[in-house]
Amino acid sequence: MNMLDGLIKAFQLIFSGDPRLIEITLRSLFVSGSAALIAALWGIPIATLIAMNSFRGKFLVKTIFNSLIGIPTVALGFLLFLTFSREKGPLGFLGLLYTPTAIIIGEALLITPIIVSLAITAIEAVDPEIVNLAKTLGASESQASFAVLKEALSGIILAGVASFNRAIGELGIAQFVGGFIAGYTELLTTGIWVELQIGNIETSIALMIILLTLVFAINLALNIIQRRRKWAPLLYSET
Amino acid sequence: MGAIAVLRNVTKDFAKTTVLDNINLQITEGEILALLGPNGSGKTTLLKILAFILKPTKGEIYFDGVKVTDKSVEETRMETTMVFQKTVVFRTSVHNNIAYGLKIRRMPNNKIGEKISEALRLVRLEGFEKRQAKKLSGGEQQRVALARALALNTKLLLLDEPTANLDPKNADIMEEVIAAANRELKTTIVIATHNMFQAKSLPHRIALINDGKISEVGTPTEIFGRLSKTLASFAAVENTFTGTARAIEDGTTQVDIGNGVQLETAAQRDGAVTVLISPSDIILSKNRISSSARNVLSGKIVEILDLDSIVKLKVDAGKPFAVQITKRSFNEMQLSLGNEVFLAFKASSVQIL
Amino acid sequence: MKTWIKVLIVAVVVTSLIVGGSLAYFYYVTRTRLLISTTTSLYETGLLNATKQAFEAKYPIDLSFIAVGTGQAILQAQGGSVDALLVHSPSNETQFLQGGDGVCRKIIAYNFFTIVGPPSDPAGINESSVTAALGKIVDYGRDHISSRIWVSRGDGSGTQTKEKNLWAKANFSYAQISAESWYASAGQGMSITLNMANEYGAYTLSDTGTYLKLSKDGTISLVPFITETKDLLNVYSVMAVNQTKHPSVNITNAITFIRYLISDEGQQLIDNYGKDQYGQSLFHSTVQLLKQNSTLQIVQWIQDYAFIKEGNESYECPPEYRDNRYPDLYP
Repeated sequence: MNMLDGLIKAFQLIFSGDPRLIEITLRSLFVSGSAALIAALWGIPIATLIAMNSFRGKFLVKTIFNSLIGIPTVALGFLLFLTFSREKGPLGFLGLLYTPTAIIIGEALLITPIIVSLAITAIEAVDPEIVNLAKTLGASESQASFAVLKEALSGIILAGVASFNRAIGELGIAQFVGGFIAGYTELLTTGIWVELQIGNIETSIALMIILLTLVFAINLALNIIQRRRKWAPLLYSET
Repeated sequence: MGAIAVLRNVTKDFAKTTVLDNINLQITEGEILALLGPNGSGKTTLLKILAFILKPTKGEIYFDGVKVTDKSVEETRMETTMVFQKTVVFRTSVHNNIAYGLKIRRMPNNKIGEKISEALRLVRLEGFEKRQAKKLSGGEQQRVALARALALNTKLLLLDEPTANLDPKNADIMEEVIAAANRELKTTIVIATHNMFQAKSLPHRIALINDGKISEVGTPTEIFGRLSKTLASFAAVENTFTGTARAIEDGTTQVDIGNGVQLETAAQRDGAVTVLISPSDIILSKNRISSSARNVLSGKIVEILDLDSIVKLKVDAGKPFAVQITKRSFNEMQLSLGNEVFLAFKASSVQIL
Repeated sequence: MKTWIKVLIVAVVVTSLIVGGSLAYFYYVTRTRLLISTTTSLYETGLLNATKQAFEAKYPIDLSFIAVGTGQAILQAQGGSVDALLVHSPSNETQFLQGGDGVCRKIIAYNFFTIVGPPSDPAGINESSVTAALGKIVDYGRDHISSRIWVSRGDGSGTQTKEKNLWAKANFSYAQISAESWYASAGQGMSITLNMANEYGAYTLSDTGTYLKLSKDGTISLVPFITETKDLLNVYSVMAVNQTKHPSVNITNAITFIRYLISDEGQQLIDNYGKDQYGQSLFHSTVQLLKQNSTLQIVQWIQDYAFIKEGNESYECPPEYRDNRYPDLYP
């Protein structure tokens, strides 16, 4: 079957509303979305702490996070597999192996360095006098930190989106701790791989199209929002 | 009228440098106090300490009679606010910038709208609510910052060089607003400035500050009336010269300010004097012009400072003179560093302090 | 700064809630889960899906098949990560039992591998025996060393184990011929291997199911040359992971699953699978055959190939590897 054939059949599959495709897509969104949420929940406070304070070893800490961005997913995935292994793994008793929860945890760990590093950059780009401004307008320490975060908002949103993209497009972790179990831990990425192994090329292509479209659409939507925030004054002001 | 704030033996060190050295100062409620001193004298640091966003290394501060501690700092901060020399605005609308402090003080939304309109009216920026603060001109941003501060109606208002980067029109507006705020809202205001003229006309009291120390405090009459060396040594204050005056028969006075520069002034004086010439009183020309101006000097342009609609130049005519011309004139005359120019100003422009 | 520590604590709490919540959900709300590791070739045929649907309709147990290569499947079982093992490699299965990791082996199905190749049959293997055919392929390969004549799975799967056995039987050193340039190794699953052979116009060893599927789809034009001989017999067995050695496994449910597979219903499902789609069954049931211990040739073949020899006897599952709590498995 050539690629054109495959493409056509893939689109037919998508537009037929195939339930398995929908199930896999929704699960991917849920798993990676949860991972991004968790990573943001603990990543943004960590980034704020690092960015807004000076301490010994700050440079080292930033460098560590930066380098962790590129961690190979197979390495992390295998490590987690060993950790969650029912018998021998230290966290085996949790029974997390081959569950979507394990994938969520794994992806959250994977993308935390991304969100921390990018958020730190965004926060450090904010005028340091903003803290003084907020305080002199009556803000407490934490309120002032929030003001800084608000100024860095577009950078932080970017960090969140970048980390979500990484999560939804990764294969290694889903592979090792998820196990491609049909109807349970199948995701877009693992689906593409498995269907190819089995020989269902059109399903594989269909999943690939969905994945690319999703990533593109999310990025497009967010860029449009960013643009309106940034350029609105230029477009709508009188000067 | 009690003291609203008292600084007792306040010292501030940054790493190895002492920026403020044993400051003792009282700020009377309801007054306008000018902190007059050159750049680097510690004015900004002192203001930040009074704004309670900087903590002194040594010393105590009393606000409304109560000593301010680490615990009470956040509360006390609500009673003071500062407008920075380099304007800082939040990346949002003018409305949201001004509303920030009001929201922290839990003002209900409908009142916030009113307050913002009022504040904008005070600084002559009516209707600017929806504009993006970052996209305004420098002068407009500074006025927004002032509106933002005034809207909070704090007991103490601290202004760091409020008109330093403004063209005369905006500077005048600012000074009027500041005076009005003090008059009508009874806000105590401390202004840090290096501009003598501002210090002369606006405040009730002046504190001279240099090298982190306060050398004198008094009313403008007292300070300028005394021939204080400290005053004259403020080289950054524009066009201040000490010299010797000699009365001449025809009713004018010649003042020798050194380096061969002689000025003619209208007043009658003899002996040691301090004179002041406002930069906007000086006419700049490329060629010698004949006019009624009694003082004509030639010199070289040694510094050019571009400020929106006006350009400030420093001309070395034996002594450094600060001159102010419009941008348009500057462009038309095609001036640049090193140009030989002529300065002309009337005898009446030479003010004796 | 203190606030940020508070926020961090909130983040940790929320994460634990999400993790804990989903764990609790899986524990109490969903049904019990049985983890079965199996091979990709079995998975690809779709038989497991059909079995899963039928089984789950009957029992409150969720079947989760983890399809990997045979080698990995066995490793997972040895590690106690799964509850049962479903593979088609008797030698490996023997090792597994002897290692004490498994119990209650039952043979559930058989079919045949097939040697497929390009319709033009350049090496002329049609109608030969397996050994002769392999010899012809090697000769042809050595005459055309710049082409690819044979594609191997190359992934340690049951299929590849079979392939190695066949080469050994034909008196070839596997290490030697696999290094020759006409011998290609896919390192992947059966579909990809078949596609590769199709591209090269080469021969390969395939299981019936995957071959039929791709052939019907029109993806490949390879034709089967040799099948249904003793050499190409493919036998599938199921084993439960030994609870004595691996306490965390779910042996009760594993036995339920085994019982289902060997039941009439299960065996019938196996027999019928594929008939509608491909016009022939992909698998054949074995339980009845073996029970009757008939003198049918196929039974002989299965016993020779897939039974475990101990001394003079050969068993489907030697007694020491049977869990005595379930005697009904071996009537």
